[in-house]
Amino acid sequence: MRLGTVIGRVTLCQTIPALRGARWLLVSPFARGHFQQRTEPPAGLSREPSPVIYDDLGGGLGDTVGFVEGREAAMPFDRDTPVDAINVALVDDVFYSPLP
Amino acid sequence: MLLARVEGSLIATRKHRSLNGWRLLICQPMDGAGVPQGGPVVAIDGLGAGLHQPVIVSTDGAAARHAVNDPKSPVRMMVIGIVDEISRGATR
Repeated sequence: MRLGTVIGRVTLCQTIPALRGARWLLVSPFARGHFQQRTEPPAGLSREPSPVIYDDLGGGLGDTVGFVEGREAAMPFDRDTPVDAINVALVDDVFYSPLP
Repeated sequence: MLLARVEGSLIATRKHRSLNGWRLLICQPMDGAGVPQGGPVVAIDGLGAGLHQPVIVSTDGAAARHAVNDPKSPVRMMVIGIVDEISRGATR
């Protein structure tokens, strides 16, 4: 799982039947020096590309979310679905203290 | 598998049901000398790894799905070992 801040939502007008009615969030992933302290997400976008993640937990703009990428992201679906990034956690609080 | 250092934890009440009850540790992948490699990842932990402890993180979901006992779980990273000692020999 990686953490990121929700910076937008994506609405599809045309999609394959398996993904009709899905909810998509645009997420800016956290880089190392970019980590959140306590509950407020860090300012500024990270340089990494912002993935679009499938969301059924109800993440909103500015939320910190934990998302999983790769084949595991398609596991929760009943039939094979081409999803490779899914929201698995709405993060309330982060305790982060790296070694100097 | 990744060699990583535990650098924090997080609380998330609203999450996928298979993660309920699991500690979520922020782990920073590193090389043998302890230099961070890339960004931190979040792994579930059932071993009780402490802060700043080097651990081994499995990046394949199969072991994690088996641990959370939910074949439909999207969980992927899991702490599968706490490292006692890293001895780096000469590479030929």
